[in-house]
Amino acid sequence: MSVAAVPGVAVGELLRSMADDEFVIGFSDSEWTGIAPQLEEDVAISSLAQDEIGHAAALYALLGELTGEDPDAIAYDREPVAYRHCRLLDHRRGDWAMTIARRFIYDTADGVRLEALAGGSWAPLADLVGKLVREERYHRMHASVWLDRLACGGDEARSRLLAALTTLGPDAATVFSPLPDEAALIEAGILASPMPELETRWRTAIGPTFATLDLPMPPPARDLAHGRLDHGEAFAWLWHEFNTVRASEPGVTW
Amino acid sequence: MTSPRLEPWEVFRQEKDGAPMQHGGSVMAPDRELATHYARELFGRRQESVRLWVVKRADIVDLADQDLLQPPLDRSFKKPGGYVMRDKLAAARVVSGQSKPKARSK
Repeated sequence: MSVAAVPGVAVGELLRSMADDEFVIGFSDSEWTGIAPQLEEDVAISSLAQDEIGHAAALYALLGELTGEDPDAIAYDREPVAYRHCRLLDHRRGDWAMTIARRFIYDTADGVRLEALAGGSWAPLADLVGKLVREERYHRMHASVWLDRLACGGDEARSRLLAALTTLGPDAATVFSPLPDEAALIEAGILASPMPELETRWRTAIGPTFATLDLPMPPPARDLAHGRLDHGEAFAWLWHEFNTVRASEPGVTW
Repeated sequence: MTSPRLEPWEVFRQEKDGAPMQHGGSVMAPDRELATHYARELFGRRQESVRLWVVKRADIVDLADQDLLQPPLDRSFKKPGGYVMRDKLAAARVVSGQSKPKARSK
């Protein structure tokens, strides 16, 4: 399919939502650099965070090709209100259990989303997704290993994990918030299934893990229509953090 | 429940297919699974390895007994310095009618 036949606006919204998800979770997790529970884990979570920023960079580059914008400008120069990451990522870093719970929810959901984009009709995205899928596999392994350990690691670890799931649960499914003009993406063969179907698939995928570990499944998301809007105070803080350096000398080449 | 005890795991890495496994260093981890993750992050995240071996240090046989490895008496008679193998091999090849083997491929 030629680029001209691609529903540009709809693809742009899709790319923006995915890129912002990766960008925001990457920056959130990079908050652990230097203070992770253990030296080796510090390297691991920092490396994972870098991976996500790398994925965001690739997605912003693709978006830039589509819109003619500079990828860095898309990443950094928007006001907080213009970001389209899901509300699951609008929580402060919190403790290690919070980070692991969020990573597990996000990585498993992202995996389902990527599956629905692999083999899509727009080659630039399908190619990139093929690479992302291979990298995200490791991220899911990391999140699963830690979810097991927190769920079965004694009273304190488990109660912290349950608290994190209580906080994040109502926002978990916002990864599958409906996209503007989602029908056009499906029509064009870029996205295999609508978001509600992907959410069902995700619930089926994580169900056995939650059952085995005796953890409460995330409830249906509240206000799914606004799942990628209204980011609130925690993101305003993070936005300021990740913009500090760039904003200190606008336009300079680093 | 006390937190699981960290213990050292030794990591060996292979830089490319066919290269020898070489000791890279060690990681501290509570179990095999996390040891594998940390080995991957510390010795593979920059695509510098194609294979890792991760071994609990406690499972390695550590032989450093100098009576066994550096015995005190003269051992020069166990070294092959007195033989010129090249000529002997060439003569044996003539006898057996075999040609010189090619360099071993990977």
